[in-house]
Amino acid sequence: MSKGFVVLAQNNKNVDYVKQAYALALSIKATQLNVTNISLVTNNRVPKKYKAVFDKIIPIPWNDDATKTQWKIENRWKLYYASPYYETIVLDADMLLLEDIGLWWEYCGNFDIRFCSKIVNYKLENVVDNVHRKTFMANSLPNVYHALHYFKKSDEVADFYKVLEFVVNNWELCYGRVAPNEYQNWLSMDLACAISIEIAGLQDIIDVNSPLQFTHMKSPIQGWTITPESWQDMVSHYLTSTGKLVVGNIAQDKLFHYVEKNFITNNLLEELEEMANGKY
Amino acid sequence: MKTTGAVIFAQNNSSVDYVKLAIFAATQIHTFLNIPVSIITDSSDWMLKTYPKESTIFDQIISIENTSTSNQKRFNDGTLSSKFLEWKNLSRNSVYKLTPYERTLVIDSDYIINSSLLSNALFSDHTFQIYKDSVSLSSWRDNTEFKRINQFSIPFYWATTFIFEKTLEVKSFFDIIDYIKSNWQYFRTLYSIEVPTFRNDFAFSIAIHLMNAKTAGMFAQELPGKMLYISDRDLLISIKNKKIKFLIEKENHLGEYTAVSLSDTDVHIMNKLSLSRFIDGGSGV
Repeated sequence: MSKGFVVLAQNNKNVDYVKQAYALALSIKATQLNVTNISLVTNNRVPKKYKAVFDKIIPIPWNDDATKTQWKIENRWKLYYASPYYETIVLDADMLLLEDIGLWWEYCGNFDIRFCSKIVNYKLENVVDNVHRKTFMANSLPNVYHALHYFKKSDEVADFYKVLEFVVNNWELCYGRVAPNEYQNWLSMDLACAISIEIAGLQDIIDVNSPLQFTHMKSPIQGWTITPESWQDMVSHYLTSTGKLVVGNIAQDKLFHYVEKNFITNNLLEELEEMANGKY
Repeated sequence: MKTTGAVIFAQNNSSVDYVKLAIFAATQIHTFLNIPVSIITDSSDWMLKTYPKESTIFDQIISIENTSTSNQKRFNDGTLSSKFLEWKNLSRNSVYKLTPYERTLVIDSDYIINSSLLSNALFSDHTFQIYKDSVSLSSWRDNTEFKRINQFSIPFYWATTFIFEKTLEVKSFFDIIDYIKSNWQYFRTLYSIEVPTFRNDFAFSIAIHLMNAKTAGMFAQELPGKMLYISDRDLLISIKNKKIKFLIEKENHLGEYTAVSLSDTDVHIMNKLSLSRFIDGGSGV
């Protein structure tokens, strides 16, 4: 049965998400021992150099529902249909895989679908994000992160994605009904997923034993007394000669969600290319 | 059977008789842990003259050179009194070479063993155990300085109390501390440590971080429980029959204290002057 990673990238005026997806793909090639397939779902032009690292480049199914928006998340419910794999791990483009996650595949393979519901900051402290997730807390919704989830092609997951499609396309109605407290007046995939889980009655997929976890670099959850605009203004980062990403003198592990669009510099991209080519 | 014992460092300055504190701490270790205790001191002649009878409590007296340093720090004695005194703390990493035991409990002379809590840790399989988590007896003080070496950096570990076994891995750890000490200004800058003075807690924290390959590793096991402490702005009243009484500084009321008592619990008494008064005359106030 096939396994692989899927990432959606839709460039906007300010951000080259395809470039970020390329960096992610390089990190997968550099660190993963068994599952190295990655497919890119995009309608953007993909440079020839980038194409080589992707297993498949897949157009966004049906119409592009995000033509008028800046954040471009309206197409994310389509990833279930777009994925060419039997087992898929969905990742956000602005992430890097830093270690082999073979055990994640092994664990998740026991289930149809698993969402990440645990994050750490760069100090490797477990974090509950009560800054950005007021709506989740106010409505007792499952604390899921769409940026990292696993699914298997199955009837149960297909049903879930149908609910997700409905919620994304009718988010104001669904937010009002299921998450009226601390009402969030914009569409986010995390909240749409949490509401879909509630509507579909799939609360048992929130699994405290799941190993799915990532380092989240949003500044307000780094445990600092001040909140800078950019985390990169507060702590330095570098790749070691063995390809370890060190942030604030702390070696990062597994999956790193850098969030800030200027993190992927040309220098870093070159280093990732060297890592992927086995030069580290 | 591995030889097991405790070691206490005692390097006197002009106002604090660390040897006297070490004799008291050794008595407590004998009572509660029943293991031999050795002292590492730069004042052995003075000790044998001043405390000829009391110093027999030590299994071995290990002499080190008297290295006066320019390290100075403020020693508070409750809320209203303080003085700047010499602070000799540069020998801690040499304990690996100096200890006569294969498994060693190292404590500061102001760490008072008052329970058998550490007994099991002394005979566990772990080769290096230390306190990371701590609790101040004063609930109102901001203790974030003891959580991480600063808010941007790595976890804080207390060099006040630790247990180690002589192994190659643990030797490497002490070698790293030596390296950090020799290059303190570099490491201080690298880890954004504001105070210029070398501090064992920071050097141990950095060395543990490096032994863990800069991530959350398993080199250092935590000692049982959490390390309880009183600040040097608090006062010790007495230690008697497992019961320790303190006066803890009140918030926003300079010079006023709240009485607190504990029993069957080990405590780090940072007010050495108060501890010294208690040993001299039965009351630390």
